[in-house]
Amino acid sequence: MSDHAHDDPITRRDALRAEALESILVEKGVVRPEVIDAIVRRYEQDIGPMNGAKAIARAWTDPAYRQRLLVDAWRAIAELGVPTGPEIAPLVVVENTAAVHNVVVCTLCSCYPGSLLGLPPSWYKSPSYRARVVREPRTVLREMGLEVPPRVEIRVWDSSAEVRYMVLPERPAGSEGWPEERLAALVTRDAMIGVARPEPARLAHG
Amino acid sequence: MHGFGPVAVEPDEPVFHAPWEGRVLAMLFQAVGFGWTNIDAFRHAIERMNPVAYLTVGYYGRWLESLERVLVEAGVLAPGEVDARLEGRRPPPAPLPESLPHPVSGYERTADVPPRFAPGQPVRARNLNPAGHTRLARYLRGKRGVIHRVHGAFVFPDTNAHGRGEHAQHLYGVRFDAGELWGADAEPSAAVHVDLFEDYLEPA
Amino acid sequence: MADAPPGGAALDWNGPSAPPRRNGELVFETLWESRLFGATMALHEAGLFAWDEFRDRLIAEISSFERAHGARDEGFRYYACWLAAFERLAAEKGLCSAEDLEARIARLRSRPPGHDHERSTP
Repeated sequence: MSDHAHDDPITRRDALRAEALESILVEKGVVRPEVIDAIVRRYEQDIGPMNGAKAIARAWTDPAYRQRLLVDAWRAIAELGVPTGPEIAPLVVVENTAAVHNVVVCTLCSCYPGSLLGLPPSWYKSPSYRARVVREPRTVLREMGLEVPPRVEIRVWDSSAEVRYMVLPERPAGSEGWPEERLAALVTRDAMIGVARPEPARLAHG
Repeated sequence: MHGFGPVAVEPDEPVFHAPWEGRVLAMLFQAVGFGWTNIDAFRHAIERMNPVAYLTVGYYGRWLESLERVLVEAGVLAPGEVDARLEGRRPPPAPLPESLPHPVSGYERTADVPPRFAPGQPVRARNLNPAGHTRLARYLRGKRGVIHRVHGAFVFPDTNAHGRGEHAQHLYGVRFDAGELWGADAEPSAAVHVDLFEDYLEPA
Repeated sequence: MADAPPGGAALDWNGPSAPPRRNGELVFETLWESRLFGATMALHEAGLFAWDEFRDRLIAEISSFERAHGARDEGFRYYACWLAAFERLAAEKGLCSAEDLEARIARLRSRPPGHDHERSTP
């Protein structure tokens, strides 16, 4: 990662502004560089979709847990030891079924359950995704490689306020009897946003 | 964005210069987790610090002092209880208040009035055209939907984000059929579920 | 937020701005974005502002871009919006005035070539 990866004048200008801003804040004692380092490290290493995948895999294997996850998501997730902190945005987990496919967006900016999925990908933050998935979800999902049959209702969840949404995808066929760790490896971030299905069971190794 | 949020507390967090700093952080997280304070109240306590103290006690010194202040204000600590302990006087710890709030999310509140709308009720998103700052997206204005969930009461960002008070109010999950939103262009069998504050809605 | 143009902007699934859709992409593409993100989170966690205060300004910057360009991806730079929102908030909170920032930028810009890009040297 370097600032030379994007070497156009506009990006260099922003990099300089950000550097200037940080240097002023550090001088004033408002922030310490080591704190920034630690936060960046945390998001690069510790926070990511493996957190959400754990909850999905448990829900696939344990019907009672699945219900707890759907009724009070944070309480259920806390059972797994996933780290939480001082500000907990309310979370609702929505399940995909034979009749309903769910997909998540934030039309206003980029909100989503970052502590369970990591930071959002660029396409999730893009003007085109945010504008089009509420308007033509079936088409957008098809463009992303996911075909949803016409008889299945697509529900688009727009995270406009504090509540965050995560999708509980359907369990892949052929994964019966698999242990949770192996199941969790099938659950991708994109499946928990709702723009993809989990990995098929037959392609996974081990 | 707020959902990027929770910060994992790790016992060997390398950014502390002394163990007491880490313990202050952990106490803050616990205090918020128990619902004894919230980030906004903590922030206000920092803002209310004596300016000289603010500049001299350092980053975690500010946290320690503000944490003590919010815990006194929450009734968890008696005024002067920490000083008394430091001076070697050990009066019995003040009992915790009888009713402590249960753990809540950072922005969740108790509203003064019951919810105006109920699940299943048809509503219309108002045709607001505020000068700026609202969480009512343009594509919803004037559209008819159905309440599917009452989330509880939350701080109202339209005012709270600009120092005009919390105005806590009920937040609703509202379902809008694609046909209602997009007319003839709508895809079949699609709906949008959006979270809208009570001020954004009127009966349909 | 501007309504999508008729037909909508094509989503850039395969172009340079589309990272792979598995979980292996970089969390931050550049150093400055990561530090800007970290600084914002650090100040928020220190209690200097409520998240709504930042989010509201971010929404305003994104909306301002979309009013000018429509809901198109070309030219949209998420962290440029973030930076503008954070600068505005920092100024309003008395943490870094626009004048101080411009003066610091000028000083950094006049550094001799070959300086260390990776960290700001005081």
